[in-house]
Amino acid sequence: MWWKILSVVLLVYVFLTGLLVPLKSGIETVEPAAAHTGREITIRFYGYNTFFEKSAESPIRVWLYYDSQYALSASSFTVVNDTILDARFNMPVNLPEGKQTVYLNAIIDHPIAGASLLPAAIELNQDSSGMVAGLPLDAAWTTTPVETLHLQKGFSFPYQNVIYESIRNTYFHVPMWFVLLFLFCASVWYSLLYLANPSDSSIIRKLKVAGRTLTYMVPAGQENDRRAAAYAETGLLFGILGLLTGMIWANYTWGKPWSNDIKQLMTAVALLIYLAYFILRSSFDEPEKSARLAAVYNIFAFASLIPLLYIVPRMFASLHPGATGNPAFGTQDLDNTMRAVFYPAIIGWTLLGFWIANLRIRYQRLFDRAMDLH
Amino acid sequence: MKKYKAYRLITFIVFLAISLPAALAEGNRDFMRETGKINVVVAVILVIFLGIVWYLFRLERKLTKLEHQTKDDQ
Repeated sequence: MWWKILSVVLLVYVFLTGLLVPLKSGIETVEPAAAHTGREITIRFYGYNTFFEKSAESPIRVWLYYDSQYALSASSFTVVNDTILDARFNMPVNLPEGKQTVYLNAIIDHPIAGASLLPAAIELNQDSSGMVAGLPLDAAWTTTPVETLHLQKGFSFPYQNVIYESIRNTYFHVPMWFVLLFLFCASVWYSLLYLANPSDSSIIRKLKVAGRTLTYMVPAGQENDRRAAAYAETGLLFGILGLLTGMIWANYTWGKPWSNDIKQLMTAVALLIYLAYFILRSSFDEPEKSARLAAVYNIFAFASLIPLLYIVPRMFASLHPGATGNPAFGTQDLDNTMRAVFYPAIIGWTLLGFWIANLRIRYQRLFDRAMDLH
Repeated sequence: MKKYKAYRLITFIVFLAISLPAALAEGNRDFMRETGKINVVVAVILVIFLGIVWYLFRLERKLTKLEHQTKDDQ
């Protein structure tokens, strides 16, 4: 019982924090996106979750940043409103290392909202007429270094372009796959137990049902088979939900619901393998034969699940983040504030999955007893 | 026949989740992409909720059938 309460508490926490904690400040876009050397230019910065008008003890600082050696700080700027800021830059005469085009990152540092960065915000082209041959390469690049950047205080999720608020799907779409894994693990575990002693029929098992201990005459073999099937079924449910939610998320970040991404393909194959498990179960009239074949098949299904979901996708390029490392546990895609929601989300959703599976097992137990009475 | 019903419900949910936002979009104004794509999260949560409810609904229907059966026995 306690774990059902824990599941609800954790999921309430996940829904509240996962939906209410704000994103960090970010730069959505800049205008214009291209500029020439040797001129003065006003660039409009469009912020996301920024509050440029909020005053602080130290001023806002704005940069165009190439690398640690070459950075341009704004000569002046005007704040239009909380999310729009116009900054003036004196573009340098020469580009570094004699290049024709460089891409500059835009950086805004706000003392309260923290620093935000837009990679490759501005394309800076070398103006050939304005090029001064004798000038040192770094002339007119400001010497105001990008340093002492501020961090946003308080609990907030990272800002990422294209993804924006949908980063919160990390607490809803991603845990589906964890629930699937844990439920399929439980399923194969009971299949193994079943195969160890299929005809284990005489054991009285004490079962805790709704907080009470009931003494059921439950044949252990039958019970193991029943559990294996129920865990596989609920695991499949969460797999389908993971696939559907992934398609929705993909539609608005990758442009289409199905991109034949290696992870999408492999999970679809894995789900089809588990779908076949139920077709196999239902295709035999003899319950013992069906249970035994299903248990053997389940072991093969689980053995193929691991390479399909966790090994093959890491060997190919994927649209999914962290495909080359350890997704969901890497440091690039999850920061500590996200972990504080993500890990409880995994536990909460998993417990909910086991809860639903438990209901399925209890139904099947009643059903089998009713059949035996006939 | 019953299986057909379940498939219809699933396709309806998928259809709703994917096409409703497109139907709501007028010109450049995109329901799913505005306000930082928060509605993508809404759609995802809705699909998970409806999927779990669909499974529980199915389980309840099975239970009802079993209840009727055992009642006949007594």
